[in-house]
Amino acid sequence: MDTTAISSASTFASKDFKSDLKPIWCPGCGDFGVLQAIYRALAAVGRPPHEIAFISGIGCSSRIPGYTTAYGFNSVHGRALPIAQGLKLARPELLVLVAGGDGDGFSIGGGHVAHAIRRNDDLTYIVMDNKTYGLTKGQLSPTSPKGSRSVTSAYGSLENPVNPLMYVLAYGASFVAQGTPADIPGLSAMIEEAIRFPGFAFVNVQSPCVTYGEEGQQIKAHKAVMKKLETVGHDATSRIQALDKAQTYGQELLTGVFFRDPNPPPTLGALVKQRHEALMPKAAPRERILDSFVQH
Amino acid sequence: MIKDLVIGMAGSGGDGIVSAGESLISACTAVGYHAMMTKSFGSQIRGGESSCRVRLATSPVLNPGGALHVAIALNWEDFLKFGAELPVDGDTVMIYDSKTGVAPNELPLVGITPAEVFSVPIGEMARNATGSERGKNTIVLGLLAGWFGIGGEAIINGIRKKFAKKGAELIQANEQAFALGVQYAEANPLKKSRRMEPPTRTGQKMLTDGNDMCAAAAIFAGCDFFGGYPITPSTEVMQFFTREVWKYGGAVMQAEDEIAGIGAALGASFGGKKAMTASSGPGVSLKTEIMGLASVAELPLVIVNVQRGGPSTGVPTKAEQSDLFQAVFSAHGDVVRPVLAPTGVSDTFDTTVEAFNIAEYYQTPVVVLSDQEIAQRKEVIDLIDTSRFTIIDRLRPTAADLEPYSRFRFTPNGISPISHPGMKGGNYLGSGIEHNEHGDPTASGRIHEQMNEKRIRKFDRLRKRDDLFRIEGDPDAPLALIAWGSIAGTCREALQLATAEGLRVKLLVPYLLFPINEGIYRRFFKTIKAGLVVEQSYLGQFYHVLRMALDVPAGVKPFCRSGSNPFHPSEIVRKLHDHALNLQQNGAAARQPQE
Repeated sequence: MDTTAISSASTFASKDFKSDLKPIWCPGCGDFGVLQAIYRALAAVGRPPHEIAFISGIGCSSRIPGYTTAYGFNSVHGRALPIAQGLKLARPELLVLVAGGDGDGFSIGGGHVAHAIRRNDDLTYIVMDNKTYGLTKGQLSPTSPKGSRSVTSAYGSLENPVNPLMYVLAYGASFVAQGTPADIPGLSAMIEEAIRFPGFAFVNVQSPCVTYGEEGQQIKAHKAVMKKLETVGHDATSRIQALDKAQTYGQELLTGVFFRDPNPPPTLGALVKQRHEALMPKAAPRERILDSFVQH
Repeated sequence: MIKDLVIGMAGSGGDGIVSAGESLISACTAVGYHAMMTKSFGSQIRGGESSCRVRLATSPVLNPGGALHVAIALNWEDFLKFGAELPVDGDTVMIYDSKTGVAPNELPLVGITPAEVFSVPIGEMARNATGSERGKNTIVLGLLAGWFGIGGEAIINGIRKKFAKKGAELIQANEQAFALGVQYAEANPLKKSRRMEPPTRTGQKMLTDGNDMCAAAAIFAGCDFFGGYPITPSTEVMQFFTREVWKYGGAVMQAEDEIAGIGAALGASFGGKKAMTASSGPGVSLKTEIMGLASVAELPLVIVNVQRGGPSTGVPTKAEQSDLFQAVFSAHGDVVRPVLAPTGVSDTFDTTVEAFNIAEYYQTPVVVLSDQEIAQRKEVIDLIDTSRFTIIDRLRPTAADLEPYSRFRFTPNGISPISHPGMKGGNYLGSGIEHNEHGDPTASGRIHEQMNEKRIRKFDRLRKRDDLFRIEGDPDAPLALIAWGSIAGTCREALQLATAEGLRVKLLVPYLLFPINEGIYRRFFKTIKAGLVVEQSYLGQFYHVLRMALDVPAGVKPFCRSGSNPFHPSEIVRKLHDHALNLQQNGAAARQPQE
């Protein structure tokens, strides 16, 4: 089922997506806000929890599927996207969400992002970008700013960070947004839009680590510095403008939709459906799979 | 008249050696011989050396055979590169292209005098017939038809079919080349006639290989999803899926890497669909983390490993049986993972169906250990009757199971009903992190212990399945052969040879390699004084796995060596005989306690 076809007259409320599990996150963690935004977005979209599959990798943020009433799969580090793609190909009728941290998505699993983008199945990928490895207690992450001091960079990092926004824009993602739990209504709106968008949709959330994050990366600071893209004169139908704005990653906090393809290409699921329609009527039953090997 | 003919040919990449072998086996199939063809290449993409062996017989062919009855060298350099894969002995008819300039009494075969030697102007004859050397392989087919009486008419029909699209001229040229070969053979007869007895085979046959049978079996068993990455020698499994699985509403994902391939397959299985991945040793190494996840998340998944020479890149184009330790042990944590192995092309179908049944029933990853030889060899096999199979699906929750649903509920047999996304009321969190019955993450030592116990106890029934083993030969025999995978075919012939020589031998072929069915080995060993566990590996891995699980009689020893050095049935008989004699003469050794 195409998620864009769902009417917005939802019969679900946020609480219907909240599970009984208590999050393991530290008090003040940005991920609490992301979770709230996801509840709201799912309530707005209106698919029942059992039709939603929420796939994650490993890390603080990857615990998030368990805090929802959807089907969840808290898998292994970096492999949420491949698992989600297999699931979506096998069960195209499901709403498939993928979530994880910056380490999961742009370090150990970084190689999968480009391929998920080029396959363009209808997935929503939410990265909680906290610029640290929180679960293992504060090591340098792929998005840690150059010069960051951490337990694995005692004298400051010598490496440039990954820019997740430019990364996914450059590989051709059709929907790219960035939010912060400092603005939960804005974040839930962009997650809702990402879910409704047909194709691979990426939401980078600047989700502060309250324990290992720097002062300037906390929610309070976000509130002070965040700028909504619509207020700075941005054309979200232009990939070039989106790339231009995305260059500010790490210096400014721009939120909102960077890019929204006005003519989204067909999703992988739609192409597979066409192929099924062409080939399935001609298929012999599975019991006859050996016919072509028989010598006459 | 002869009943069994082993032909080996080698040349350089452009010589069409493999194409000649294919024409030959398809002609043999058409006239009704049993036949098997194995190919072997250097690792170059084009050019370099290539070879094939075709064995044809009036009774079923169990393995590619030992020393060649007929050896064909289009050039010596390439022929000799295959060494033990194309062994020549005193009974071989050696044929080579005279262009090589080697005199028949100065063959570069140290210490070996073939029964007959023919220096044939193969290249020149090809040029005369077709205007180019590209017809050399057709000349060879003519020589084989002329000397050994195999499939003359069928080969011509094959030539017509093969070149049908390329025009009448090419067909005529190749028919001419074939005729030249036949005429040459008739003008230069063998000193000792070796014409094949006419075929006696009846019934419909299939011409296929192990990789195609693996993929076909998967789709037959209901597999709807394949995720994988190209790797020699398993890629044909994925290729079959890309042609066929869409027709059944399924999908293939050629992934960006081996990890994504198995990850996608696991995702499909989480979605309630039967799923598979296939690879070879290096790829399976990359997949092992997700294999562990499948064990803990209790998700059915079939992982095919078409083994090649290892470790690391190793010898990618040759068979070896050295990934057993990897299949059994390559998980962190306490994991039991079923491992199955087919022994030939036909039973690759059965074994793959069984792998899906076990994966689904026990909600577990299952490894199928195929190897390059059975995966890529072409074989004429009896029609497989798909109606004899039972297909098993995973245990789905009943309405009562869903009120409320506990995904990992402790049950008497350790198997808990499994839901999938889309099933109302079945919502749960799948995870690699330890979880309680409901699926919630936990670090409780008590629950971890209970869950390990559940995940291992659920295989109790599998360990008792005697139907996954074949015991052949004299049930009271004091001598034993134990062999799995492609080498079992060689041992089946060794059993026939040994029995014909008057040795009392029995053979045990396990299709289930792990977990170990202790009962069946204990019963098998009761009469055994001496025996060999035969394996194409350096370490003798199965022998060691067996000894971990049970007491193996002291007289049973590993007989093993690395890939690219194929075993021949006769040497297995000799080794078994010598080993038994040695034990007998040295009685004290046999009475010693086990090491």
